[in-house]
Amino acid sequence: MKILVCISKTPDTTSKISFVNNGKEFNSEGIQYIMNPYDEWYALVRAVELKEKNGGSVTVINVGDVSSEIVIRKALAIGADEAIRVDVVPESSLQVAKEIAAHAAGYDLVLTGKETIDYNGAEVGAMLAELLDLPYVSFAFKLEKEGEDWLVSREVEGGTETLKVGGPIVLSAAKGMAEQRIPNMQGIMMAKKKPLNVVASIGAEKGSVVASHEMPPAKSGVKMIAPDDMDTLVKLLHEEAKVI
Amino acid sequence: MATYMNMDQLRFLLYEVHGVEDVFQLPRYSNFDKESLEILLDSAKAWADQDWYPYFREMDEKPAYFKDGKVIIHPHVKKIFKDAGDNGWIGMYFDHEHGGMQAPHFIVNAINHIFESANNHMTGYMGLTAGSAHLITTFGKQELIDRFVPNMLNGKWAGTMCLTEPQAGSSLSDVKTMAYAQADGSYKIKGQKIFISGGDHDATSNFVHLVLARIEGAPAGTKGISLFVVPKFLPETEAFNDVITAGDFQKMGQRGYCTTHLVFGENDGCVGWLVGEANLGLKQMFQMMNGARIDVGMTATSTATAAYYASLQYAKERPQGRRIESNGRKNPNQEPALIIEHADVRRMLLKQKSIVEGALSLLLETAKHVDFALEGEGDQKKENHLLLELLTPMAKTFPSERGKEAIDNGLQVLGGYGFCTDFILQQYYRDIRIMSLYEGTTGIQSLDLLGRKITMENGQALQLLMARITETNQEASNYDELKPYVKQLEARLGDVQKVLGRLIPMAMAGDYESFLADATIFMEMASGIVVAYQWIKMATAAKKALVTGTGAFDTAFYESKIHTMKYYFKYELPKAIACLETLMNEEELTIVQEKQEVFG
Ligand SMILES: Cc1cc2nc3c(=O)[nH]c(=O)nc-3n(C[C@H](O)[C@H](O)[C@H](O)COP(=O)(O)OP(=O)(O)OC[C@H]3O[C@@H](n4cnc5c(N)ncnc54)[C@H](O)[C@@H]3O)c2cc1C
Repeated sequence: MKILVCISKTPDTTSKISFVNNGKEFNSEGIQYIMNPYDEWYALVRAVELKEKNGGSVTVINVGDVSSEIVIRKALAIGADEAIRVDVVPESSLQVAKEIAAHAAGYDLVLTGKETIDYNGAEVGAMLAELLDLPYVSFAFKLEKEGEDWLVSREVEGGTETLKVGGPIVLSAAKGMAEQRIPNMQGIMMAKKKPLNVVASIGAEKGSVVASHEMPPAKSGVKMIAPDDMDTLVKLLHEEAKVI
Repeated sequence: MATYMNMDQLRFLLYEVHGVEDVFQLPRYSNFDKESLEILLDSAKAWADQDWYPYFREMDEKPAYFKDGKVIIHPHVKKIFKDAGDNGWIGMYFDHEHGGMQAPHFIVNAINHIFESANNHMTGYMGLTAGSAHLITTFGKQELIDRFVPNMLNGKWAGTMCLTEPQAGSSLSDVKTMAYAQADGSYKIKGQKIFISGGDHDATSNFVHLVLARIEGAPAGTKGISLFVVPKFLPETEAFNDVITAGDFQKMGQRGYCTTHLVFGENDGCVGWLVGEANLGLKQMFQMMNGARIDVGMTATSTATAAYYASLQYAKERPQGRRIESNGRKNPNQEPALIIEHADVRRMLLKQKSIVEGALSLLLETAKHVDFALEGEGDQKKENHLLLELLTPMAKTFPSERGKEAIDNGLQVLGGYGFCTDFILQQYYRDIRIMSLYEGTTGIQSLDLLGRKITMENGQALQLLMARITETNQEASNYDELKPYVKQLEARLGDVQKVLGRLIPMAMAGDYESFLADATIFMEMASGIVVAYQWIKMATAAKKALVTGTGAFDTAFYESKIHTMKYYFKYELPKAIACLETLMNEEELTIVQEKQEVFG
């Protein structure tokens, strides 16, 4: 079984977010990057589990410059067998999907995280499926192999849905798919010896460009209400916070 | 989750102060690079968050206990032991041929800092297992290595160090445990060992004890002590090897880390195998002792680090009192200030910060010397060996003595709550107390420093250290802001020379008792000055980053380093002057005098 996992880097969740160049560009100064948690904890770990159970190989692919290599190495330390880095700084989901599609033929399963935790686009998986002309299941929290088919469960409003899909598929992984795996000493040292192939960009079109970003307004200060003044509290929750 | 250590502080020391990348140049460590180190650090922290820190309080509240001849410890230790073995953490610094990862000691110590800050009860189990396996791989025959080491590094069996006996603690020359040669080359072992950490428990299926004993007919004193490997169960047959657990010491701290009383050969059925050469046991053991002492220093540093962050958190949240306004009064209508705004609380926090970060820097520098002493070449190897010998007793003692003081101040920051078991400070306060006792008490470390290390090879180690300090001072003097502090450090180095000028002639005249009577005061002085040197180093790195803009951290981070250095120089370093006064005072008040009843 050949599995491809698409991984990207995102700012650490504790990062202070700001933009430069009139809101067009993300300010990466002082930012620590991590592997997008949906890619790492769910897509990649499930891929490694499936490989451990059924044999085969796991390849990770990233579209990014050399600064992505630390997260690629981490993916190899967690258990991927080889990696591809498409050497271009990504600017849109369509561009990423097209760059990946150029290397995604011949896999039995292509996994992405359900979204990245920075831009929350949740687009690459669907675009990739379209480009590869494969079935697509989004937000899957469970994935099992059943004979030649895949059994995939996903959350739907008020419940869950389980699908049976045949043949190669593209799937976006959500919470529940697997448990976080911490790379161990052996895996980390082995990662250095695994192949990391850097390939040139195909020059895929971007489709869209960012016009600007706006930060949410600063939160207003905390209001202290005396414990016996329930009326004011209820009024504020209703009128200002609008939570009741 | 509460903060128990700070990865930025660690990274600053690794990359910007101590140049961790230097060790990657050594052929043994060529597999390592910055990327693998980064993933290692993050993985260690993630594991510590997930599996170490959450069990820290519980291990104190449900301590190890002895029941029906067995020691029961916290069940989570079993999981950690297994994971550590499966995932290569126990054998981090071992050779590839022994199943290890050949990690630099520098990195192993950095990783230990993460684990030990998260849970200081847990690391000893793994550390002792690695330490005793290392004795076997270093001195043992291949047959012994094959029989014991793989199952120790994979976490199935635990290892221990059995030195202490009821009558032989600091003075190991009085060890009485006996070894009787057998026709097949093995030995029958008979004797008792006390205070044996991790000596028996339910987390592993076997125990491999490294035991100091005398071969029948061996000379008295340290030259008649040999080292044996003595398993609890024989590896091949799993037969019981007559190692009886007589009890588990109940302690004020590190209560999750069991401390056992073992009886070897009560029924004449205990077999052991000689490790290395007969009668060289203590010497072999001492060759490994540097590592164990650095470990204890790191555990003390880490325990005090965790306490510092716990008290800092509290100080940021606790409102109490009001700041004095410019008219000298307080305004009762104003909201109370957070206690972190009071000068006295800030002093207590800065004291902790200056001690724990200074200690961490010293430990990492010492660990770097380990790598170059083992793997360097020619003069570099020799110099690093000498520096390692000199710094080790200080790297053990400064954090364990001054760490106690730091945690005491951390507890004080919490006011009355610090004394209550609902808050964690009291646990750190109890846990750190052992660090100045085991692996050689502060008294013994101080005798080692003054009596052996300072005078070793005609004082060469000290000269080397002085040269390094001078080099750092020169670099620091490029920055005007640091110049006054360089001057102070130079003055204190002059004081050390003055003290040695008084003490060394005593040793030369054969008056060793007077020479060494105040060795502990000398330790306090010297180690305090060595940490001042660490602070100059850190401040210089911070200054450089600020001036060149090449550092990985923000301005506030670097400025806080320089500020903390200044604190150390104003409040902590002057203590060396008090030591100087005592050491230069010629009155002899502590040496036993005939017919004097001091304590009557
Ligand atoms: C929790 C715990 C875990 C331990 N783990 C281990 C272990 O795993 N393996 C092991 O072998 N041992 C272990 N020990 C033993 C430990 O190393 C000894 O307790 C320590 O070396 C001190 O020995 P002692 O207790 O007999 O004290 P003593 O040697 O009796 O010392 C008492 C006091 O006298 C001072 N003193 C002694 N001799 C001199 C001297 N010549 N000059 C000046 N001052 C002196 C000491 O500094 C100390 O203040 C452990 C102890 C504890 C409490």
